[in-house]
Amino acid sequence: MHDGTVAADAPLVWTREELLASDAYAEPLFAGDVRCHGGFDADGRYRSPRTRHRAPAIRAWQARLEREGAALVEIDRRLMPPQYPNAAQAALLVRHGVRDPVVRTLTLVSIVEGFGAVIRDVHVPDLRRLVVEPIDGTALAHLGAGLFEAHARDESGWRDEGGHKQMWEAARDLAFEKPRIPGDVLLRMMGRRSRAERGERWLPELDAGLERLVVTMAQVLAVEVFAAGTFGWGIELLSNPEVSAEPVRAADLVRYVQADESPHVEYLRTALSELRARTLRRADGGTMPGGEAVDRVLHRILHAMTRTRPREQREDLRATLAADMRAAADPEGLLEAFDALETPWTPPARTGFEPGAAAAG
Amino acid sequence: MTPWTRLRRTARVARAAAALFALYKLPAWWRRARGLPPRSGRALDATHERAARILLACALDLRGVLIKTCQAVATRSDQFPPAFVERLKQLHDAVPPKPFPLIRGVVERELGRPLGEVFARFDEAPLASASLAQVHAARLRDGREVAVKVQYPDIESIVRVDIRNLRRACRVYERLDPKPLELLPLLDELVTHTGYELDFLREAESAERVRSLFAEDDRVVVPAPFREWCTRRVLVMERVGGIKITDKAALVAAGLDPAEVVQHLMHVWVRMIMAEGFFQADPHPGNLFVTPEGRLVLLDFGLSKALPEGFGLGLFELMFSMMTLNEAAMLRAFEQLGFRTKTGDPSTFLLVARRMTSRSDSGRFEGEFTEEMTDELFEAIRQNPVVRVPTDFVLVGRAFGLLSGIAHTLGARANVLRALGSG
Repeated sequence: MHDGTVAADAPLVWTREELLASDAYAEPLFAGDVRCHGGFDADGRYRSPRTRHRAPAIRAWQARLEREGAALVEIDRRLMPPQYPNAAQAALLVRHGVRDPVVRTLTLVSIVEGFGAVIRDVHVPDLRRLVVEPIDGTALAHLGAGLFEAHARDESGWRDEGGHKQMWEAARDLAFEKPRIPGDVLLRMMGRRSRAERGERWLPELDAGLERLVVTMAQVLAVEVFAAGTFGWGIELLSNPEVSAEPVRAADLVRYVQADESPHVEYLRTALSELRARTLRRADGGTMPGGEAVDRVLHRILHAMTRTRPREQREDLRATLAADMRAAADPEGLLEAFDALETPWTPPARTGFEPGAAAAG
Repeated sequence: MTPWTRLRRTARVARAAAALFALYKLPAWWRRARGLPPRSGRALDATHERAARILLACALDLRGVLIKTCQAVATRSDQFPPAFVERLKQLHDAVPPKPFPLIRGVVERELGRPLGEVFARFDEAPLASASLAQVHAARLRDGREVAVKVQYPDIESIVRVDIRNLRRACRVYERLDPKPLELLPLLDELVTHTGYELDFLREAESAERVRSLFAEDDRVVVPAPFREWCTRRVLVMERVGGIKITDKAALVAAGLDPAEVVQHLMHVWVRMIMAEGFFQADPHPGNLFVTPEGRLVLLDFGLSKALPEGFGLGLFELMFSMMTLNEAAMLRAFEQLGFRTKTGDPSTFLLVARRMTSRSDSGRFEGEFTEEMTDELFEAIRQNPVVRVPTDFVLVGRAFGLLSGIAHTLGARANVLRALGSG
């Protein structure tokens, strides 16, 4: 997003309305028969929604951080586990008439995207009280003043426009011609017990509201960064004419979602970096370096995600794979071929945010 | 049931029906004859209030299906005025019990042996009494503590007579009223549900099914039925104690957070309805307890129902779009769930959707699920009478109405997006 020089006097303070404002489109985006957010300019280029002022605002906040000598949080892409099933495995299943696992995965991706809207409900505590240094003119000061709301609207749509949830659904329906949705799709999501450790404090030194904000932003940032793998998978799979009935339109929809997600990654890493560069007030009246708090949370999240996410994806798919494959002519042979295509992966030993590590930058 | 009892019940229903008719129709005819406009506003509210009292008195006198009917009316804020809903709500947990000798007779007849041969102890005072049955605490001879649900004697024949009487009353009403409320479909629904509730073997099966849904979730407790002692009229289940879910003081005293209890409660029902497609459809406070460790105890599976394929996903989409303020997605979800307008014009749905999403304009909406929200949805549907509401949605809406009532009593709100996810 930081695409060049930003004037030193670029505005740093924006209203909620400005952060939610979109460009005027020459043509709106339709995903199938659903009107979605975003649209095309006169040259036919896709323009993400709500980026008219949000994009330059984020660039200005990042430039300010740079001027102040603070590094932007950077999550190493090598931490990103491969998708399971990968695009080759998914294509193999579809070619053999086993569509349910792929349709189920695409449906779950759409639902998970939609759940991004919960960020709207995150309570932003009084950061001017909880952070020692001033936060005026930062992304932090705009979280509850437009940034979270724009993010929520992007993910689940708003009013008469669809968002990423509807765009993934449309991509699935275009590629697989409105497939039957497996009846157990919600069970896969709700049926598993929550793996989160409820009630446990991650940063007990801090005000609980500030802790929740840091943990939520770090979790969403990690999910958004790792989503790059899902986008790549979706584009590769849905643009495959052997698999997809509408290879261009279906894959393009995923590309648009990917473009829309860029501001999410950027504002979250900016806000977390601003916190890292500041000092936080502890609940007992003392202070704590922001870097220590943010890095501790990021390390814990990334360490867990690189280990649990691949296992969970695998368990979820394999729970129904044998039953789904019964439709195939040679289920055993298909399973063997499927397993042979699996992407081998070992999680890197380090997250880059270990205690004491100078991770970012 | 004696012919005299049958006659008395028929006469009592006829008397109540005549009183209701006189209450609404005579003033209407009189006003029309004098060229006056129909009653409205407070005058009509007072009439509704009197009518609700007549129904309540009749139900408490005759019990059986009359109580079930009134309970059903109390859950249909989409069709009936608020006075009916408010007045008849009390029938959910205020039914006087039957004398113990009658109950003992049913148990001994059903089990084919004296009470003492099966139970080491059987408490004469019931734990709870409802329209069709009452529940007693007991101990089996092997020492296990149980809850025994016993159907009232003669209840099946009483139900048959009551349904016949109600059907007659509805037909007469439909002939006399040029714009009648659609009462017969409601009665058909009631007949189906009462049939379910009168079969305790079905209830035992339903309990086992819900128990298996939560077999791996140690935060949910469903008491096991003891099938060897279950018959169509007697149900013996493991007895599980706990704090009544609406006893906020006791929950707090046990170190439990009422907000988390409500959140968990909502997630459990969302999961049954949307993910599993089978649910306990009567989550009133008398059927829900919380153990001191925070485990949710579910009781009474008489009214449990399997939902058609696709319904869960459709409802998920409706609630999700409602919570994320997406009107267009709400319209699609209404269609998917089987809502229809008589003209096929979707603008009615748009009105309902706008009404729900406009909550965000006032700044009142925070992703929560509230009693007012259920009421508002049904009120919006009632004000747009061209909408046909699918039967399954009514039962599900009733369940959510009861859940949000519990949340209201506890002064807590569930975040629905969280409930729709992993909890």
